[in-house]
Amino acid sequence: MAESARVCFHCGEPVPSNCNLTVEVEEQLQPVCCSGCEAVATLILQSGQSRYYQFRTENALKPAEEDADIGLSWQRYDERHSLWGSPLKNGRYELLLQVEGIRCAACAWLIRSQLESREGIDQVQVDVATGFVRATWQPAKLKMSKIAAMLAGVGYRPHLPLSGAESLGRQQERRDALKRLGVAGLGMMQVMMFAAGLYAGDAMGISEGPERFLQLISLIVTTPVLLYSGKVFYTSAWRSLSHRKIGMDVPVALAISIAFIMSCINFLTGSGHVYFDSVVMFIFFLSLGRYAELVIRHRNLQTGLALARLLPEWAELIRNGKTEKVPASDLRVADQIRVRAGDTFPADGVIIHGSTEADEALLTGESRPVAKHAGDMVIAGSINRTQGVEVEVCKDPDDSTVSVMGRMLLKSQTHRSRYTRLSERYAGWFVAVVLLVAGLTATWWLYHDVAMLFPATLAVLVISCPCALSLATPAAIASSSRALLEEGVLLTRGAALEHMGDIDTIVFDKTGTLTSGSPGIVNTVINPDRPEFTEESALGIAALLEVNSSHPVSRAFADIPVNRDLVSDIVNHEIGVEGRVDGKNYHLGNAAFTDVNVVDFAGGFGRLWLADKTGWVARFDLDDGLRESAIETLASLREKGFDLVILSGDHPQAVASVAQRTGIDNWYAEQSPVMKMNFLESLQEKGKTVLMVGDGINDAPVLSAANVSVTVSGASELANSTADFIVTGKSLKYIEYILTIGNRTRLIIRQNLSWALTYNLLAVPFAAAGLIVPWMAALGMSLSSLLVVLNSGRLAKRKRETNTALQIPLEAQ
Amino acid sequence: MSIIYVLIPLAVILLALAVWALIWAIKNGQFDDLESHGWSVVLDDDQKPPPISEPTNETDKSEDKQ
Repeated sequence: MAESARVCFHCGEPVPSNCNLTVEVEEQLQPVCCSGCEAVATLILQSGQSRYYQFRTENALKPAEEDADIGLSWQRYDERHSLWGSPLKNGRYELLLQVEGIRCAACAWLIRSQLESREGIDQVQVDVATGFVRATWQPAKLKMSKIAAMLAGVGYRPHLPLSGAESLGRQQERRDALKRLGVAGLGMMQVMMFAAGLYAGDAMGISEGPERFLQLISLIVTTPVLLYSGKVFYTSAWRSLSHRKIGMDVPVALAISIAFIMSCINFLTGSGHVYFDSVVMFIFFLSLGRYAELVIRHRNLQTGLALARLLPEWAELIRNGKTEKVPASDLRVADQIRVRAGDTFPADGVIIHGSTEADEALLTGESRPVAKHAGDMVIAGSINRTQGVEVEVCKDPDDSTVSVMGRMLLKSQTHRSRYTRLSERYAGWFVAVVLLVAGLTATWWLYHDVAMLFPATLAVLVISCPCALSLATPAAIASSSRALLEEGVLLTRGAALEHMGDIDTIVFDKTGTLTSGSPGIVNTVINPDRPEFTEESALGIAALLEVNSSHPVSRAFADIPVNRDLVSDIVNHEIGVEGRVDGKNYHLGNAAFTDVNVVDFAGGFGRLWLADKTGWVARFDLDDGLRESAIETLASLREKGFDLVILSGDHPQAVASVAQRTGIDNWYAEQSPVMKMNFLESLQEKGKTVLMVGDGINDAPVLSAANVSVTVSGASELANSTADFIVTGKSLKYIEYILTIGNRTRLIIRQNLSWALTYNLLAVPFAAAGLIVPWMAALGMSLSSLLVVLNSGRLAKRKRETNTALQIPLEAQ
Repeated sequence: MSIIYVLIPLAVILLALAVWALIWAIKNGQFDDLESHGWSVVLDDDQKPPPISEPTNETDKSEDKQ
């Protein structure tokens, strides 16, 4: 608990030393990091929902300052009926909102109990996996802006309702899959029951009447299951055949068709066995697998949404000398907008009035804010740092740099799917062989014993069902995914684990990946002529001057404890700050601002000079601080024989400094996203398998083009949406852990595959010889699958031993 | 054994009802949120929190306390 003294009670971020805010929890004072967190925590505690803190498993989202008046900006849309959601009966509407900050089940509970206690809201549902809140509400009793304000009040950021089919489509897909699974499950239970009667009848004797009756009922129940739940296998098999490929679903479709048609014929002619139970069981288990796959896929963030969230939803449009708030997507070329300090530029444009600094770190990788004057281009998604400016929009939102980048990303994602389908290609061969063997079996029995033709062929198809084979990989990946999750690493694309063993080159982004992305003081120099100052006192003065600054550089001083009462008359200038400390005037800023007569050059975030009336007192060298355990991790990776490369959009000096500190010789600076892509492709053409580690939006396309990609904590959502692994911890050590788990997974997958193949090779001859009846084949298939699942389970177990050895500190719960 | 001619069709009718109920529930979003309701058992109190009148007012109050 020693750490909790410095960590915000609400959002878990470090509390700046110059912040003394607290909230009272169960008669104890807990620190919070800002007034936003304080307001939210107070509201939650006062409304009797303190248990949220007790049961949550993830920290809350830090509320942004503009969230406080989110209700106000929504007010103008209270009367826009199209945003109310789909109309229900009695003047009720169903509203679907995407809400940011929903991280665990306790969040869902908090939102539900906040909203449902309100008159005018009937029912609230929260989907933790996708972050959607669905509320049934009555616009007559409650305004939409109130709902938004309530969500913002407890620390969640609502987004304007989506009319787009995208989000609804995802939910519909899941519901459809669930319906198919449910129908197959219910059908299976019934048919298995009748089958039990039939099998018992086979063994002990059954009169013809009840037997025919049970068969008829099985047929009646199986038909809708086949037509409804089995339809997907037919469409998918047809799709792969029409592309002249043999997909996994072809033998599935074939097996269920043959089994069903032959059972029907046997039933109608009144001779032979029926296999309706095999049909429904097969459909149910396959649907179960498909559903699990779908849920995992949906948990991955959606590129389109992540891209949309990057841009502000609102813009201040200047019309006839007045400003009004409009949705940013309504902006058109030649519109004039005002962008306040601290806001994100909503569109690509040219500054027509004012000058400022823009933070483009996430877009270009450049760590320092860029000065922008009238006539300069600004990019949508970059942040206006210092002053409000007026901008003329020069591109429609769809053509903005960010949108184009998004499209590039989608392209490289579809491109990459070709790599991932390798295992499918093997499956295609396997399936072809199975079909061939089944055909040969059928032909042979046709000439020898027609009565054996159907059971033997079916046994071959069922016993060689690619179940164990198709489970071999997913089961192993599911286990490792669980193991990784326990360490705080989120696996978003399972196939990535298969490629881990081939990795020979690791490419790192610099800003925000190798470095923490915020400035730190690397060196303090005291003017030798001013011995009355020490490093400590100079740092103390500087920290006091920066106490209220929102400039990114001020974060370098945030950890120094200060007494706020000592400082007064602070004036923030664009290039520095001045103020009175302990009765004396000081300036803090760059060389020009502090009248220091030197040629100033420095890498990274540059230098800050502290001066008083008589001259300079101290110099602070700032640089981007390295991430936790970066040096050890990189050294050990190099030892293991990986080629390490830095690919950064930042200036050469800044990159060189980091490269030197981490000992990476191979570095490239000033790389645009396109250049990064080209570099990566040239590596891949040389036969390298590349792991890319990044965080920024500018990394997103290259992350998705790499064979395997990892994003680190603090990465932009767009980058996360393309990454195979999302690391939530701050340390770089997790990269090594991912590589270890990847290798182990590969080993298990190989074991699983060899078992599945051996089993098939052994069993198929017996089946073809007619020695195995279909129900034995079904049992064998299930046992073989079970073995594969159990073997994969070892991945999660073995991990626990290495867990302690690795000693990776987990994020505070 | 002739009782099965009554009971089994009855079971099939029940099955049809079950399928209908399931599809109705899925369509109504009953399966969309499988997590938070489980938590409400441990989290909910008998004493309901008083409904918050105006979140922004609360924010002001908490800042006044400082």
